[in-house]
Amino acid sequence: MKAILLNESSSSSFNPYFHAATLLAAALAVCLVFFGDFLFAAAALVVAFVSFLTTRHLTRLVAKANEQKSDLDEQLIQSQKLAAIGELSSGIAHEINNPLAIMGQETEWIKHLLKADNLQAPGATEELRDSLREIVDQVDRCKEITHKLLDFARKKEPLIQAADVNKLIEDMARLVEKEAAQKNIQILREYQKNLPRVPTDPPLLRQVVLNILNNAAYAIGKGGAITIATRLSGGDAVELAFSDTGCGIPKEQRDRIFDPFFTTKPPGEGTGLGLSISHSIIVKLGGRITVASEVGKGTTFTIQLPVGLT
Amino acid sequence: MPAKTKVLIVDDEERFRDTLKKLLTANGLETNAVGSGMEAIEELHQQPYDVILLDVKMPGMSGLEALAELKRINRDVEVIILTGHASVDVAVEIMRLGGYEYLLKPCPMEELLAKIESAFERKTAREERTKKVQTTASS
Repeated sequence: MKAILLNESSSSSFNPYFHAATLLAAALAVCLVFFGDFLFAAAALVVAFVSFLTTRHLTRLVAKANEQKSDLDEQLIQSQKLAAIGELSSGIAHEINNPLAIMGQETEWIKHLLKADNLQAPGATEELRDSLREIVDQVDRCKEITHKLLDFARKKEPLIQAADVNKLIEDMARLVEKEAAQKNIQILREYQKNLPRVPTDPPLLRQVVLNILNNAAYAIGKGGAITIATRLSGGDAVELAFSDTGCGIPKEQRDRIFDPFFTTKPPGEGTGLGLSISHSIIVKLGGRITVASEVGKGTTFTIQLPVGLT
Repeated sequence: MPAKTKVLIVDDEERFRDTLKKLLTANGLETNAVGSGMEAIEELHQQPYDVILLDVKMPGMSGLEALAELKRINRDVEVIILTGHASVDVAVEIMRLGGYEYLLKPCPMEELLAKIESAFERKTAREERTKKVQTTASS
């Protein structure tokens, strides 16, 4: 690949000169014929011919190299796609195999308890119930993963309608506020008034806002504040900023927070899909989502949504 | 009667390690369970184990890092890796670090019990060989 690129760049820089050389030599030959110097005219013609052949040869080389390069590009995209699928499937495998392993063990335990001798033991019935309850919980855990994945894979085009972003966020803030208050987390509002209505898919945007607010509350744990700010940004976008006073995200994790299945929560508590789904939603809505964070101080998620999207 | 095989379960999933502990104990093994690589290292410093069942993806210290350290503490302990997702790279790394076996979750109980048994047999055979070599050397 490197060789081909080199070949291409060197020949493309040669090309105009060789064209010029061919023309110059041809022009010189015509002039010399005009002045009656046929020997030099013949020499100039030979030079023009050689130069023409060289140019043609190089042009073909460049075309061939370009063709090879586009083939390689295609292969590269294909292999990147495969790598992404590979990463995703290993994430899914891990997330599903763990609950499956628990279900398998609970089943083994139920079988063990059902042996006549064991069934007589005190507490056996309660243990049976507990194992069954655990299996149901783990089925729910798997269901949550597959349902979220289906959401993730859903190709449905967003249904765009003009929305009052402040109102949309406020609805979600109220939803989170009750539970947050119990953990002594305050929600502060800094909404800019009279924002233009944003063409967006309200249910999808609500999902993103709710996810970010829930994450913020989780990062804070107990006692702290979430500040929600909206403002006009650059005249053609509305900016939504969600800042928390939580634990912050270390640099090495920050690069991965939008990756599917990346989570720092204990097993069974988070699927690692929330932010990656949020990211894909915002991209679908024509916007951008970014994160800034300082460990020990807090995190800010900023979403920019274009006002002029039709 | 031979002594019970001592097994240590290392897994961050609490329910998984608790039920596995009950199952292994019911199958006649002496079992303990901890929730992280660090705890496993501390535990192995406290008392010897025959076989360690080790998860790979755990917060903090990964199973592979723990494996290297556990083998450093006790070269003879056999480590069986139990993981939710398989990859050739991880399998190669496990063998390189001295892991005994690699099992994919969910793993049938009989298979796990068989692997623990063969790991224990290998450990005992090796210890006996070492003893023999030492006796021959000293006599």
